Amino acid sequence: MMTMNQLDRKLQKADRKQSLLYLFCNFISLLLITAYAAMMFSPTVLEVLPEGGDSRKQMTMIFVLALFGCVVFTVYASSLFFRKKSRQLGTLMALGASRKRLAPGLFREVLALSSCSSLLGIAAGFPFVFLLWNGFRLFIVESDEMHLRLDFRCLLLSAVFFVIVVAFSCLTAYRYLKRTNIIDVVQEEHKNEPVREPGRWCGPVGIVLIFAGAVCGYEAPAVYMELFSAYPTGLLNLLYAPVFVGLYMVILHTVVHGWIGKRKHPYKNIISRSMMKFQGKQTVNNLLVSTVLIAGSAFAIFYIPMLGVGQMLDVNSRPFDYCYHYRMDQTIPGQEEIAELASQHGLSIKDFRDCPYLILGMDAIVRREEGRRFHEEHVDLSHSVKVFSESGFYALTGEKISVAAGEYRIVSTSNESDIYLYTDTGTFLTNMVTRDTIDVKFAGYAHYDFLAGPPGYLVISNTDYETIAHGLTPDWLGTTAFFNIDGEDSYAFAQDFFYTLVSSFGPECEHGYYYDRVEKYAADEAGEVYWGDTPRLSKLSFDNPDASDFRIYWAYMPKIRILDRNDFLRSFAVYLMMFLFISIICTLAALIISYTRCMTIALNNRYVFDDLRRLGAPPSFLVREVKSQVGTVFRMPSIVGMTMMYLLYALLMLGNDGQLVSGEIGGLAVCLVILLLIAGIFYVVYRYTVRKMCGELGI
Amino acid sequence: MLHIKNLHKSYRSGNKSYSVLKGVDLSVAGQEFVAVMGPSGSGKSTLLNCISCYVPFEEGTISLGGQNLKGLDEDALAKVRNEKLGFVFQDFMLLDGLTVRENILVPRIIRDKVEPKAEQLADSLLSLFGIAHIAGKYPAEISGGERQRTAVARSLINQPLIILADEPTGNLDSKSSRTVIEAFENARRQLGATIFMVTHDSFAASFCDRVILLKDGTVYDSLARNAGGNESRGIFQDRLLAAIKQMSTMDGRSDEQ
Repeated sequence: MMTMNQLDRKLQKADRKQSLLYLFCNFISLLLITAYAAMMFSPTVLEVLPEGGDSRKQMTMIFVLALFGCVVFTVYASSLFFRKKSRQLGTLMALGASRKRLAPGLFREVLALSSCSSLLGIAAGFPFVFLLWNGFRLFIVESDEMHLRLDFRCLLLSAVFFVIVVAFSCLTAYRYLKRTNIIDVVQEEHKNEPVREPGRWCGPVGIVLIFAGAVCGYEAPAVYMELFSAYPTGLLNLLYAPVFVGLYMVILHTVVHGWIGKRKHPYKNIISRSMMKFQGKQTVNNLLVSTVLIAGSAFAIFYIPMLGVGQMLDVNSRPFDYCYHYRMDQTIPGQEEIAELASQHGLSIKDFRDCPYLILGMDAIVRREEGRRFHEEHVDLSHSVKVFSESGFYALTGEKISVAAGEYRIVSTSNESDIYLYTDTGTFLTNMVTRDTIDVKFAGYAHYDFLAGPPGYLVISNTDYETIAHGLTPDWLGTTAFFNIDGEDSYAFAQDFFYTLVSSFGPECEHGYYYDRVEKYAADEAGEVYWGDTPRLSKLSFDNPDASDFRIYWAYMPKIRILDRNDFLRSFAVYLMMFLFISIICTLAALIISYTRCMTIALNNRYVFDDLRRLGAPPSFLVREVKSQVGTVFRMPSIVGMTMMYLLYALLMLGNDGQLVSGEIGGLAVCLVILLLIAGIFYVVYRYTVRKMCGELGI
Repeated sequence: MLHIKNLHKSYRSGNKSYSVLKGVDLSVAGQEFVAVMGPSGSGKSTLLNCISCYVPFEEGTISLGGQNLKGLDEDALAKVRNEKLGFVFQDFMLLDGLTVRENILVPRIIRDKVEPKAEQLADSLLSLFGIAHIAGKYPAEISGGERQRTAVARSLINQPLIILADEPTGNLDSKSSRTVIEAFENARRQLGATIFMVTHDSFAASFCDRVILLKDGTVYDSLARNAGGNESRGIFQDRLLAAIKQMSTMDGRSDEQ
């Protein structure tokens, strides 16, 4: 005796292939969301990525992309599932089953499938994160900071997504049940979803829109700030919208027309192109999601070479092995003590040179914020500067520059690639002890890469130096020193030197370079609380000199070639791992979507291949048609996503200072190699998919 | 059994309305085997869809076993489809995940739970239509003719008032077509079934008691088998073809063969 429930179960069992696909898509979506959320809310990551910093913004941005991808993926999976299901529903309705009779079974199935797959995905998300992260620790880099801690509040995000998935599935079930029309099902032959064929202008216009959107979106905030003296709201990001419209048009053009050869050989690939066209809507949606995910993956992975290559080139091009600086009120090892320490490691030092500098206050035109609005005003004590005399700079660097009295130069790199870090609006320097001032005006840059970087050195004339230095106490004086190792340097000595140096500083120097004493004085005098003394500023500690925060931000961090070279991975480990992780997740999602799409095309077009076979098409012809389909699904998003992100990154680098410096060129070259590697992975999966598809179609 | 009076049905496409059925009048008696033929666009399928309660109609009445089908709500229509009608479709519409025997039982499962009596009926239908040997097989494992005979058996499981068949031989070769038509004949003779079949196939129609010719949404002619129904099938087919030819030449077309 069979009941309706048993019939439902039997039909569900028969549909298990379709159900498994649905389960798999939901599972992957929830796994990715949970894994990403776990990473994003992990204290390990949050403690390293500065709040409000670019890295955290990038992480959030890519999360939004991944979220978008997962939502589309889920929608796709459920619509695929219900499209198959609607034929079954239609048959039962034609035989006299009312919607009311069918509803309980359908909703039971949908609820069970969506909730089980989602819960499994959430449960698998954490082991996935642990495996991946600890894999990194095992095979790539290991440090104390890399110990993964998870904040289980991230489950809230997964729970929200879980509710969305289940609710959406039920809504789709309701929609399909309501819309299933017996006539459609009875008269259905081969239902397809063709896209409206656009003109051949579609692709080129799409490309123009992508570029126009990228430029508009990128430039709009600056224009807005210039015009309205206010920071733009997030709404301005809508100006990036043409990028997505353009992307859609490019993909649509690819699916409908293809890019090459149609005019010359109108019948070439006509079958695969028409097959793709008649599955157009879903194919275009899928390719769009894949493209966005691949772009997200490239965006994340580029972070590593762009940071690493620039850093490595900088480290290798340094004229001295060691550079350190300190305040004169600190008891820091001198040349002899360092030589002694080196000898303990069997090393000797050479080329030792040092030069005093002054720590002065400087005025500037600064931006004051009131909510979103801002205005610019002149501030007498804006920030501190480290100031060399003309002769002192020469003695230290060997670079002869001339600075006239009443002028100053800012030390920058040889190609002035970092000038956006400094202000040249200062007009006088202040002795912070006597409050004497001298008038100065900006007279250009002095070039010396080794001393460039925030908070920045100035060079003034010898006479101005003598005048303004009068009366300064040791805590407003400093020294910068360079030296080399005679022969091969040793990592052990570098570490020893670094730890000795750190332990020589007093607690008054236990802060980042962004903590500005002049600003603090000005705030104190104005009766305000200096922002650097508020909890907003993360504190550095001498107790943990190997922490990446300490290595990156400490105000007196020495430059030690061998240490910086060897510890690069460790210092930036969390950054690197985070972005590598994001890239892996996005790539994985794009691969799965592409694979699933291809298998769907195979299932939906089986009859076309059967017909072709009956018409006498040899296996080689059928394989070519399969390759043509799969090729478009894999090739198109890879090319567009990667190219788009590569150009965007180049644009960003160019936008920083109007030029591409050697580190950036090197970084972009490595990015290109990485893209080729990712393309290689896509090619391997493409081959696998072709094989599976041919197997599915019996070719 | 089935009485249709002044049936009108039109479809809208954009702002235009297309009248498909323009006042159809016909009746089908109990245990009668009736075919409807006509050129493409004559309204055959629309007529069947109206009787099947798949599409609503604007004007006229359809009465089935004394029950007027106009104005019934969705649940009532589903009940009519399940209890009073049996369906045979051109592309079989069998459920892939169920065996032949289970497919036959589906309308009964939809109606209520399957009692042993219904299972016995299913088994006797399997034997009657010569498909008992494939009872445990799935639709993908059997031939087109066997699938359609399964569909015929399914249409009878709830002992409906009438079986509606839409081009039941449309997807079959001549040998399979013959077995399906024989299945209908068996159903009528042995189970007293009433059959209303839409077809393009004059060979299939020649097995019927009566053939209604539809043209431009109205009944053009109705040909009954002569000699008290004992006219030979071949002669009836010849008469049928002649009538179709005459109907076609009226407006210079020759759609039907």
